[in-house]
Amino acid sequence: MNDGDMGVIVRTMARATIPLIGIFGAYVVMHGHLTPGGGFQGGTTIAGAGILFLIAFGLGEMKKRYNKNLYSALEGLGGLVFLGAAMLGIGVAFFYNTLWHNGPFFNGKPGTLLSAGYLPIMNLAVGLKVFTGLVSALTAIALWRRWKE
Amino acid sequence: MPFIVAFLFAYILWLVLTAGSNGLLWSTEELVAGLVFAAIVGYATKDVVGENSTRFLNPVKWVTAIAYAPVLFWGMVKANLDVAYRVITGKIRPGIVRVPVELENDAQYTIMSNSITLTPGTLTIEASPEEKALYVHWINIPKGLERPESSKPVAGPFEKWARRLGR
Repeated sequence: MNDGDMGVIVRTMARATIPLIGIFGAYVVMHGHLTPGGGFQGGTTIAGAGILFLIAFGLGEMKKRYNKNLYSALEGLGGLVFLGAAMLGIGVAFFYNTLWHNGPFFNGKPGTLLSAGYLPIMNLAVGLKVFTGLVSALTAIALWRRWKE
Repeated sequence: MPFIVAFLFAYILWLVLTAGSNGLLWSTEELVAGLVFAAIVGYATKDVVGENSTRFLNPVKWVTAIAYAPVLFWGMVKANLDVAYRVITGKIRPGIVRVPVELENDAQYTIMSNSITLTPGTLTIEASPEEKALYVHWINIPKGLERPESSKPVAGPFEKWARRLGR
C-alpha cells in the first residue's frame, strides 16, 4: 500500500467504476429535460467519481492529475455559458427561450433529445460548473493537512 | 490504447441507459450524443483504467465471464442456505484465517476477494499481493483448518476462475 490510498481491491474497483459513474452523470445531465435529474444532480454524480478517485488513490495521485487553473477556468466557463444561453433571446426578454420558438436547433419534437430550446445547454453548463466546483472544493479541503494548529 | 477500453465501456453503458429512444432501438441523436460523451469520459479516464486494461477486450474473456456467472450464483445460493442454517442453530466457530493464493495481478485479487465476500460465511478483510495471501473472516472454521494450505477449503473453485478471468 502506498501513502494515503486504499487497498488493492478498492483501487481496482475504482478503476472499473470511475468511467461508469462519469458516463452515468453525463447521461443524467444530458437528459435533464426528459428524465428526473439535470445539471446539479448529474454534476454531483460526476464529482462523486472525482471524489472516489481522490479517496481510492490518495492525495498524492490526485495532486498529479488535478490542475487548479483548468478547473477554475472550466467553472467560470460553465457560468458564462449559462448566462449566454439566457441572453440569447434578449431581443424579447431575459431568459426568453428563442431557441425553442424559432431557433435553428434544439427545437425538435418534445420528448426527443434535441428539444426544449436552451435547457440542454443550460444543463450542460450547470453540470460542468457543479462538477469542477465540487472537485475543486474537496481537493482544497483534502490539501489542508494540519489537523490542529 | 486504454482510451479504447474506457470509451467502449462508457458507450455500452450509454446504449443500455438510452435503449428505447426509437421504438426498441436508439435514435440517431442519442447515438451521436453517446459517442461525444463517451469520448469525453474515455479521454478523461484513460489513465484511471490503466495501461494493461486492454486485455479485457479479448472476447474469450467475456465468454469466460458468462460461464463464471452460474458458478458464482450457485456458490451464493449454497452459502446463503448454509448461513441460514447457522443463524437458526447457532453453530459457529468464527475466526480470521490467512489464505495463501497463487494470483499475479490486481484484477485477479479483486475478482477472488469479491467472490469470497459475496458468498456468505466468508469475508475478505485484507488482500496482500506482497505476501500472496488473503485474510478471510470465516464464520465456521472446521477443526484443523485454522492454517489452510490452499484456498480450496475457503473459496472452493474461485481461485481457478479468478486466475482465468483476470489473466
